[in-house]
Amino acid sequence: MLNGITIGQYFPGDSLLHRMDPRVKLVLTFVYIFAVFIPQNWIGLALAVGFLVFSVAVSRLPVKLVLKSVKPIIPLIIFTSALNIFYVSEGVHLFDWGFIHITTQGLVTAAFIGIRILSLIAGSSLLTYTTSPTTLTDALERLMKPLKVVHLNVHELAMMMTIALRFIPTLVEETDKIMSAQKARGADMESGGLMQRVRALIPILIPLFVSSFRRAYELATAMECRCYRGGEGRTRMKQLHMNGMDGVCIAVLAVLVAGLFVLNFVIPAAL
Amino acid sequence: MDIITARDVRFVYDNGEPEPGAAPQDPILVLDGVSLAVRQGEFLALLGHNGSGKSTLAKHFNAMLLPTGGQILVRDMDTADEDQKYEIRRTVGMVLQNPDNQLVSTIVEEDVAFGPENLGVEPAEIRRRVDDALKTVGMYEYRAHAPHKLSGGQKQRVAIAGILAMQPDCLVLDEPTAMLDPQGRREVLDTVSRLNKERGMTVVLITHYMEEAARADRVVVMDDGHIRMEGTPREVFSQVEALRAIELDVPQPTELCFELRRRGVPLPDGILTAEECAQAISLFMEEPLCR
Amino acid sequence: MPVIETKNITYTYSPGTPFQMDAMTDVSIAVEKGDFVGIIGHTGSGKSTLVQHLNGLLRPTSGQVLLGGQDIWAEPKKIRAVRFRVGLVFQYPEHQLFEETAYKDIAFGPKNMGLPEEEIDGRVRRAAEFVGLKPELLEKSPFELSGGEKRRVAIAGVMAMQPEVLILDEPTAGLDPKGRDMILEQIKAYQQENGTTVLLVSHSMEDIARVAKRVLVMNKGRVAMFDETAAVFSRAEELTAIGLAIPAVTKVFMMLREKGYPVGDNVYTVEQAVGRLLPLMKKGGGTDA
Repeated sequence: MLNGITIGQYFPGDSLLHRMDPRVKLVLTFVYIFAVFIPQNWIGLALAVGFLVFSVAVSRLPVKLVLKSVKPIIPLIIFTSALNIFYVSEGVHLFDWGFIHITTQGLVTAAFIGIRILSLIAGSSLLTYTTSPTTLTDALERLMKPLKVVHLNVHELAMMMTIALRFIPTLVEETDKIMSAQKARGADMESGGLMQRVRALIPILIPLFVSSFRRAYELATAMECRCYRGGEGRTRMKQLHMNGMDGVCIAVLAVLVAGLFVLNFVIPAAL
Repeated sequence: MDIITARDVRFVYDNGEPEPGAAPQDPILVLDGVSLAVRQGEFLALLGHNGSGKSTLAKHFNAMLLPTGGQILVRDMDTADEDQKYEIRRTVGMVLQNPDNQLVSTIVEEDVAFGPENLGVEPAEIRRRVDDALKTVGMYEYRAHAPHKLSGGQKQRVAIAGILAMQPDCLVLDEPTAMLDPQGRREVLDTVSRLNKERGMTVVLITHYMEEAARADRVVVMDDGHIRMEGTPREVFSQVEALRAIELDVPQPTELCFELRRRGVPLPDGILTAEECAQAISLFMEEPLCR
Repeated sequence: MPVIETKNITYTYSPGTPFQMDAMTDVSIAVEKGDFVGIIGHTGSGKSTLVQHLNGLLRPTSGQVLLGGQDIWAEPKKIRAVRFRVGLVFQYPEHQLFEETAYKDIAFGPKNMGLPEEEIDGRVRRAAEFVGLKPELLEKSPFELSGGEKRRVAIAGVMAMQPEVLILDEPTAGLDPKGRDMILEQIKAYQQENGTTVLLVSHSMEDIARVAKRVLVMNKGRVAMFDETAAVFSRAEELTAIGLAIPAVTKVFMMLREKGYPVGDNVYTVEQAVGRLLPLMKKGGGTDA
């Protein structure tokens, strides 16, 4: 029952996006998230969306996958759109009923914001779809290295993230097994009131904790056997190199951002 | 030339401070004067039941535990010397029992790289070692897989590759097959045997499976913190009664020959495999061949 | 009438997705009351999937599981009652212990059955005795016990439900020879004394040869063989072809047969082998080949 969970949702591939330096990709994703808030007019927004569509095409991921990523936030979009529809009172009134006024301007604003949120989510899921969790962790570690000055041990944080990612599937499987084992002894997890249900979790949580501690202890031993001694003096097999293509990507996004700013001056705002 | 030398090693396991009000627990003597040398290039099996002290001894070989008394030398390094700790652990690589709990990374090849990365090896050299180690254990085509999707035997082979990438002189395996199915056990044991035969890797295999110990060059039997027997598998397994007395059993063919000998058929000593057993028995068969 | 029976059960993982896979196909077996069945097969042969169907942890995609002639899924809401009648001990069962004391942990199953306090007490003590746990250990935390003791507490926890059918998935995994022998002897004694039907899943042919009256061989999700132990081991060549490790004595006999000696083909323990060989052998001297 827990097998449906996938963490990281990485889809291996060999596209330009997959091969990009993860640090660049991470930074550019943040820049893009910022960029979708720049346009104040439809042409600018279309340009930002166009860039996203282009990126999806380059990634060679199935479009269905990208659409799936925005599914969970549809309620959020409906909610914010509704707010805009009801609260914007400028423009031609299409529908009036008590305190509810639906205006053309309200609809436009709702659509505009909805598209912004959709692009934002699709853009960031493009990052996780094309970058393995380990690589992402690695990129974060390297990008955050300067934080050492403020005594933040970035290496340890990154190590913890890697280990967590490694053990999530193992522990999910284990939880499944413990649940089955307790059900086989007649544990009832499906009926009863709230208190009863909470109490029914004890036979699952305690063995899970015990096993997690056992695993952690054994893993620590194994890491020591493999000469682990923190980040000091450690090298990495996979070196991150920026190449020409990364430069091109940076340039393209920089031009896009600049263009979006300029468009705001040239074309009257849609909002 | 000896890689590991244990001299009169004693190890006392102390439960620490007793809880207030509780009776103080006696410290347990786990190893009681163990002396042993592991020779360069040999395949040594360390045999014993649970609690015999075999795993405790193994953990002394790479300075995970330090002796209470006596001394352990790895090459000429004393394991008590804190400064040499990492060089000792690189020289004596250790594979543990549970294949799930010794893989660190979410990708096979990155896990294998973990050891050499800790040692500060150059990136290009790590790449070379990782590819070489994965090919050696036959897991190269799985290099981009996630460890949790592999079978137990495959995970254990990845763990072995992770140790090989540190280029150790000696491989210590602490019950590496105890949690595996027969298929996985075969994979791991074949890998280890091959490393020993083809690459001259020194191997110390800790096990309670007799069939595995039978593949070693030399068997050391432990019981109650002492070394009780030592010799070639043939020499050790011919002592069926002595092995039974310390809660171990012998391979079925050995047992069969032993039982027949006891009933008056003068079969030779030290038979280990089904092939040898069938051959030996056939020499004593009364019936004429029926073909 | 068989106590437990499966009729053409098939189990499909993730039906309707690209990951769709049959874990078990068209399995029909019938186990008589008081039988001791050994179940053997590779990892992924479907044997674990099969046993989880017998106590209703998994529901077959198609087919029926009958317990005492009744379809266990006739009333899905009453599936919990089935689990008390068909006890299942998982692999490495010590990982499921959670109570403060071993006693309470063994009592978990009987308590879920809603039995009166005195009845629970009697059952816990009897089960503990069967697995050879000393009474003073019952008041200890299960986490303080040794590995072997923990496993026995876990097995006792299922025995205390006094199921009609007791299923054990690899009860000897990871134990040393002494621990393995003890557990097998205790299960055998329990079966003989209570007349409980026992199904024992194992990778070890030697273990199964020692205790089972009948053997079920699973291969690629299907039943490959289901017969008397002797009859199954007489098909040593087929077992080897499936890739199962037959007992070494069975292998010795296979080789002797190949050499042309009429030693018979249904030998799987050292004891049987000695009995079979002695009358055929010369005592006192051999001839060189």
